[in-house]
Amino acid sequence: MKFSFLRSLLPFIVALLAATILVTSQPIQAMPAQNNHGGFDVHIPENTPDNINEEDEDWGDDWAEEEVTSPWQVTGIIEAAYGQFLQSNMTEKSSSLNEIRARINIDYSHSLFELAWKIDSRYDAVLDKKIWQTRELNVAASPFSFLDVKVGRQVLTWGTGDYLFLNDLFAKDWQSFFSGRADEYLKAPSDSIRTNWYFDNVNFTLVWTPEFTPDNYITGERFSFYSLQMQKIVAPRETFPVTKTNNSQWSARLNTSVNNIELSLYGYQGYWPTPQGGKATVENQAQGYFPKLNSWGFSALTTYAGGVINLEYSRYNSIEDRHGKNNNIANGQHRFLLGYERELAKNLTASVQYYLERTANYQALLENSTTPEQVVDENRQLITLRLTYRTQQQTLTYSLFSFYSPTDHDAYLKPSINYQYNDQWLFSAGANVFIGKDDYSFFGQHQDNTNTWLRLRYAY
Amino acid sequence: MNRLFYSNIKQVKRLVVMTLITLLAVNTTLQAQELSAEQIIAKANLAAYYAGDDGSAQARMIIVDENGQKQMRQFIILRQDKKDLGDQNMLVFFSRPSNVKDTVFRVEKHTEQDDNRWLYLPALDLVKRISAGDKRTSFVGSHFFYEDVSGRNPNEDSFSLLSEDDNSYTIKAVPKNKNSVEFNYYIINISKSNFLPTESTYFDAQAKPVRKMTVLKVKNITGNATVMKSRITDLTNNSYTEMQFRKVKYDIGLPNNIFSERSMRTPPKAWLK
Repeated sequence: MKFSFLRSLLPFIVALLAATILVTSQPIQAMPAQNNHGGFDVHIPENTPDNINEEDEDWGDDWAEEEVTSPWQVTGIIEAAYGQFLQSNMTEKSSSLNEIRARINIDYSHSLFELAWKIDSRYDAVLDKKIWQTRELNVAASPFSFLDVKVGRQVLTWGTGDYLFLNDLFAKDWQSFFSGRADEYLKAPSDSIRTNWYFDNVNFTLVWTPEFTPDNYITGERFSFYSLQMQKIVAPRETFPVTKTNNSQWSARLNTSVNNIELSLYGYQGYWPTPQGGKATVENQAQGYFPKLNSWGFSALTTYAGGVINLEYSRYNSIEDRHGKNNNIANGQHRFLLGYERELAKNLTASVQYYLERTANYQALLENSTTPEQVVDENRQLITLRLTYRTQQQTLTYSLFSFYSPTDHDAYLKPSINYQYNDQWLFSAGANVFIGKDDYSFFGQHQDNTNTWLRLRYAY
Repeated sequence: MNRLFYSNIKQVKRLVVMTLITLLAVNTTLQAQELSAEQIIAKANLAAYYAGDDGSAQARMIIVDENGQKQMRQFIILRQDKKDLGDQNMLVFFSRPSNVKDTVFRVEKHTEQDDNRWLYLPALDLVKRISAGDKRTSFVGSHFFYEDVSGRNPNEDSFSLLSEDDNSYTIKAVPKNKNSVEFNYYIINISKSNFLPTESTYFDAQAKPVRKMTVLKVKNITGNATVMKSRITDLTNNSYTEMQFRKVKYDIGLPNNIFSERSMRTPPKAWLK
């Protein structure tokens, strides 16, 4: 990921920081404030008889009306994670995940703006390196009563799908998703300017990302995958060469609510988020790149029979291959989603989704493909099911997410258990199971990537 | 003549006194009869969940499990009544612990249909619509159910006045649809002075008490008797949650447009102080 945009922002942010520090000159207060009995940061007057008993001290009867509040808040996590392939894989390591992560979130709240800085550093034993990543560094403000602006590195999400993305073309991190990192890491940050315009019941969001941010897609560093060129499963140690693009991407959404139905219109101008194109270099080497992509779509969401029903459509225009004749560039698509979620029983929630991915100019794709027998069905379909059961006062969560494709004859199961021992400690375990008939299908190519994982997290 | 006059006056006096006493007695009986169990419950609902036209408060919960393990939740609530005993809008901004910080929960409470609920997940900057769900499931892992926080719909139960004394009414509530709840009936004590429920005990099919809500502290805030501290105990294992409030304010004039998706992404700081 390139940092140049962020770099150009840095002086501004640093100056802002310095100014606010000078103006407020208040000490940074860790949050939650740690006191010696691990409870609330409650001011207890010394003459209160309550402080004799630890139990009562937690419950000083008068919850202090005044508390020293600092505009600074520092929180974070420390996490150890380990994941292992369940069969031999052609990757260099037999572990899919092996890292220690420290995360620091610094928030500063000013009457005119909010600053968020989230630093993620980890030692990644799968990649044998220390990685520093600024996950967020942004300033948010409301310069006008009808406008909210957020500038800087941020995580962006929209659309109605659950683990399925149609109109959401913001960067994703598939490596995190496949290796069992926390869900939030499925979304990768981008350096963007987001503006939210509010007019009565209508909300317009415009996001400009000056430098196109691709997904963190699957490479041979951590997982194996099917190479169409080589006609086999590969896991190249050197990431395959991909030409980057420095051009910008635009994302827009118009959102309103009519009779309790949430309606959205979406537009996108940018690039395919994964290298869906290939071209020859000067040295006649094949090289991947991100072909141009424009899309538009809509979604509707409402409550129905005690649950939530959602519908979404998106049209992908692969404008460098409008007629689908170029075998090296992905064809356009129609993406359609229908989903329903509801509580089945107390603490048990289920959601199902039907997803259709229709390839445009399918005949041209077949005719121009060198491997027509491996081409995806014209109407690729997916059915997903999510079951979530929470018990023990919601501290223990069992979850299963499953993808099944009747057209690709493959499936992907994501079972997990989460145990929130207390406010600080979270223990999680799970698996990523890939099943498939063919080596070249979407999930089938990842059969050797089937893994199980464990995570231990401390939040402060 | 005089004697007759005086005796007449005496008689009149007696008559007046008698009449007054009778009137008073009748009046007292009338007053007691005036308030049916349903009316008392309506008044209690009004006092407990509809004080003022809107309001804000800081709240914290300590959740203590049967092993004494503690968890905590701290949040700010903004509330707006559409109509007394009717629909309400609510926003809940979580600040602690750090794993729920900046999470926002939004409810449009409806008395005639399912509630609308949204959850804002700050890590993804995502506002997620969530299904209305069972109202008798735990609110953020505490012993308080959604229904305890936003009020149980009185149409769900049949009420009967069991007894009353100088200070309180004791009312038995039997759910109309027993399959929808985990209890068989509950008994609720309501203060006569301010109509706040002071204690509710839930019984199972064997008439054994299994769950209990106790009000621990009440304070008068701008004319509204307000529960400042209460506890819900699971009597089967003695685990419990205590909820405390502070900075409670009423009739602060929250604008309607506060209760929107925008406030979830960009909390309205001016109203959260």
